Amino acid sequence: MPRVAVVGAGMTEFGIHDVPLEELFAEAAFGALDDAGAEPADVEALYFGNAMSGQAENATHLGPKVAAHAGMAGIPVQRFEDACATSANAFKNAVAAVEAGVHDAVLVGGVERCTPETGRDTAAMTRVFASASHRQYEQPAGLTFPGVFALLTKRHMHEHGTTEEQLAHVAVKNHGNGALNPRAHFGKEVTIEEVLDGPVVADPFRLMDCCPFSDGASAVVVVGDDVADSYDAPVDVTGVGHATDVVPIADKKTPHVTQAARDAAEEAYEQAGVSADDIDFAEVHDCFTGAEVLASEALGLVADGEGGPAAAAGRTARDGDVPINPSGGLKAKGHPIGATGTAQVVELTEQLRGEAGARQLPDADRAVAHNLGGDAATTVVSVMEVRG
Amino acid sequence: MSEGLTHAAWSDALREGVLLGGACDDCGATVGTPKAACPHCGARGLEPVELPTAGTVYTETTVEVPPEGIDERGYQVAVVDLGVARVLGRLDGAAEIGDAVALAGHVEDEQGYVVPRFEPA
Ligand SMILES: [Zn+2]
Repeated sequence: MPRVAVVGAGMTEFGIHDVPLEELFAEAAFGALDDAGAEPADVEALYFGNAMSGQAENATHLGPKVAAHAGMAGIPVQRFEDACATSANAFKNAVAAVEAGVHDAVLVGGVERCTPETGRDTAAMTRVFASASHRQYEQPAGLTFPGVFALLTKRHMHEHGTTEEQLAHVAVKNHGNGALNPRAHFGKEVTIEEVLDGPVVADPFRLMDCCPFSDGASAVVVVGDDVADSYDAPVDVTGVGHATDVVPIADKKTPHVTQAARDAAEEAYEQAGVSADDIDFAEVHDCFTGAEVLASEALGLVADGEGGPAAAAGRTARDGDVPINPSGGLKAKGHPIGATGTAQVVELTEQLRGEAGARQLPDADRAVAHNLGGDAATTVVSVMEVRG
Repeated sequence: MSEGLTHAAWSDALREGVLLGGACDDCGATVGTPKAACPHCGARGLEPVELPTAGTVYTETTVEVPPEGIDERGYQVAVVDLGVARVLGRLDGAAEIGDAVALAGHVEDEQGYVVPRFEPA
């Protein structure tokens, strides 16, 4: 039983954009509306995500700014901030509101600029990103976001024997997928050797284990199940789970299991009436290669401890038994923080419609999106399916 | 916060070489940072407790690309397992997961916030 349907999907290229946030978001919003055959006047509410433009660009109160720029002034706009899980949280709330009948049709999306176009260099943006770790108990140690996921990944390596070479396989796979995605930030393939020879950012992560700083926007149109068939290409949303975990990292029970992802997945699968075995492919939050390994296990796509070997064996490649990140993921497609969650929904929508072009997966009927925020203390997991 | 462990008390203790945490009577958990209630069961009134100052490295990384405001590179950040609880801090002197370490002071940021500094035991 679908909760709602996605009937339109749009996104900008992820990369470097020297334009205001409003223009960037409008491109994605109009892409989603055009795809749905809808107009701004058809949108009853905007569920909008932006994580940190207050810090990065001195731009806040973005809701009415983007709505006004895109012909939607007047409607209610709610803005979400949940670090990297920002627009998945917007999506979750949009799904709930439409399902409950509060609105018939809403636009959900996000926008972010993270490149030096903001005027902030790597060190400055690294500090902005670090604001998602605990201000008093983590930031004074000089913990960065590569550092956060390095802490989780190194414990996983210790527990399960995951290797740097296995992590490199994740990067190689996602770069390869990104090379097939015209909207990806990185469009070229890389080799295991290139990944393993890169400069260390925070061990075990080298440069190519890390997603880039990206600019971009994404948006989808969500409508009720009862009206979905009046649109050309609806895709069903059958489950959305959302959970949090303890912050800071040191107080989490077992940091590397990413418990919030496990809880959110259980909730999403239960709503959809499916299990991990029923999932044909996944878009997961691979901000770092190790994060994809942790996510693949937390979602139940591979057994605990098998995330690294599965990547190295090609099981998560597009022709593997559990394809992960056919879009290229955050690693290659890019990671404009507040746009990432709904960009995953865009990829699920296009794949499930059979409209993913060169990166189209065969037999893609049911998929899962996993979008985490901060040190994985927020995770939203969404299940989408070909409309039955 | 009028009761329980506060950031101010935790920081003052750390400056004097003492690690404070909060112990939950209801579920038995101990956390290494102040919380208004137990993050694992929700019970209020965590009892402030003195934590051991020695333990083992639970996980660690060496940060080569620091945030703005930190000039050094190649510093190590670790989560240290003190037995009853874990805490995050700096680690001076190379140590790997499982190695014994002990509290050796603290580091302070530009706003005066402190976190523990450990060294190999
Ligand atoms: Zn408790």
